[in-house]
Amino acid sequence: MIESGVTFDFAQLVMDNEFARMIKYCVAGIQVDDGTLMIDDIARVGSFGDFLSLDSTYAFMRTQSQPSLLDRRVRDDWKASGGSDLYTRASEKAREIVADHKPEPLDPHVLKRLQAIVEAADREMGVA
Amino acid sequence: MKRNPHAGRQRSGGLSLNVFTQDELHDIHLGTLEVLERTGVWIEDDEPLDIYADGGCSVDRSTHIVKIPPHIVEDAIRSAPAKVIHHGRDPKNDLVLEAGRVSFCNFDEGIMVIDPDSGEHRKPTLKDVADIARLVDALSDIDTYESAVGAADVPGETQCLHNTLAALQNTTKHCGSEAVSAYHARKLIEMGAVVAGSEEAFHERPMISMGVCPVSPLKLTRDCTEVIIETARHRLNDTILSMALSGASAPVTLGGTLVVHNAEVLAGLTLAQLTERGAPVIYGSSTAAMDLRFATAAVGSPELALISAGATQLARQYRLPSYIAGA
Repeated sequence: MIESGVTFDFAQLVMDNEFARMIKYCVAGIQVDDGTLMIDDIARVGSFGDFLSLDSTYAFMRTQSQPSLLDRRVRDDWKASGGSDLYTRASEKAREIVADHKPEPLDPHVLKRLQAIVEAADREMGVA
Repeated sequence: MKRNPHAGRQRSGGLSLNVFTQDELHDIHLGTLEVLERTGVWIEDDEPLDIYADGGCSVDRSTHIVKIPPHIVEDAIRSAPAKVIHHGRDPKNDLVLEAGRVSFCNFDEGIMVIDPDSGEHRKPTLKDVADIARLVDALSDIDTYESAVGAADVPGETQCLHNTLAALQNTTKHCGSEAVSAYHARKLIEMGAVVAGSEEAFHERPMISMGVCPVSPLKLTRDCTEVIIETARHRLNDTILSMALSGASAPVTLGGTLVVHNAEVLAGLTLAQLTERGAPVIYGSSTAAMDLRFATAAVGSPELALISAGATQLARQYRLPSYIAGA
């Protein structure tokens, strides 16, 4: 929401979703045990190796955060693919979702009964 | 209704982040000590090799690997002061740094700038350095100035001196500088003495401090050790800041990354304390993760937030002032 909660903004909620995912990643914290401190790997790499080629790097690769809207590429790559800003990308994503996303529908019988309740209320309140 | 006073009660008195328990901090500390003792760090230059050797470390002159016994590291942590002051040219801008006190400065150091008038993305000039220092001087909650950008329109060999000159002219807040050798550190000290009025007055209230970065994993190059030694001898605040990257120059796991990071900072801190016991050192982190999909440093990432919070807690555990990256 913007303006202290007066106005809803579609793109804002899509951005908030991205931020929420980052916050959840932080809230999960840092695991500390022999498997994650990797003292033996650190000794093996020493001062002149790198960690890219280690089995452990491959094994834990997918534990890294993966934003979908925030663009972590270098500036030239970002510009080459249009150089759009975060708000623009979030707006596009919001329009795409609203147009294409199909949630599991209600059972038709359930829907019929729900509609009946609402229609009855409209009649009872004299607004039908 | 009477509400009589409570007997002594605990109040939080503020909000803080606790990433690790005491046990976890201890595990990271012990892991770090093991790395420093058994794996060691590579030291390029002879002078620091001598200092480490004289201090009781095991030094291999052929490989340049220094192995530091745990008791020397722990003694160094204890001998570094828990409180340091970043003096400003104007005393009203003096800033106390100690574990738990939160302050802010600008990010250090950009190699490009967005032109404030045209919006153009371009190389920084000396005018930008001056303008940013003036901006920092005016902003009430940016407590100190750190070398925000490096001027590309001055000679590279003396760039850090030009940057500092422009900063000193435009802010009375403390100026963090990037010395790249002992020579540059001495020139910055000479400049500070002129501003203060004398070398003694500068040492009394140094308005300049310096910062160095080890090279991950586990290397302290000549530029880094020269500045550590020079600042320690002059008892100038020196920020020792690791820039390890998870998955590339440090383990992919954040716990392992913090071990490599911590080993590098403590190796530098030990050098400072062996050079001059009690020299002020600030525990620094710009450690982040490499996004393995793009091979870029993920600076504005949840990993950086976690690493920064973890590094801050390590510094706090060591009772050292810290200088930690935002995003």
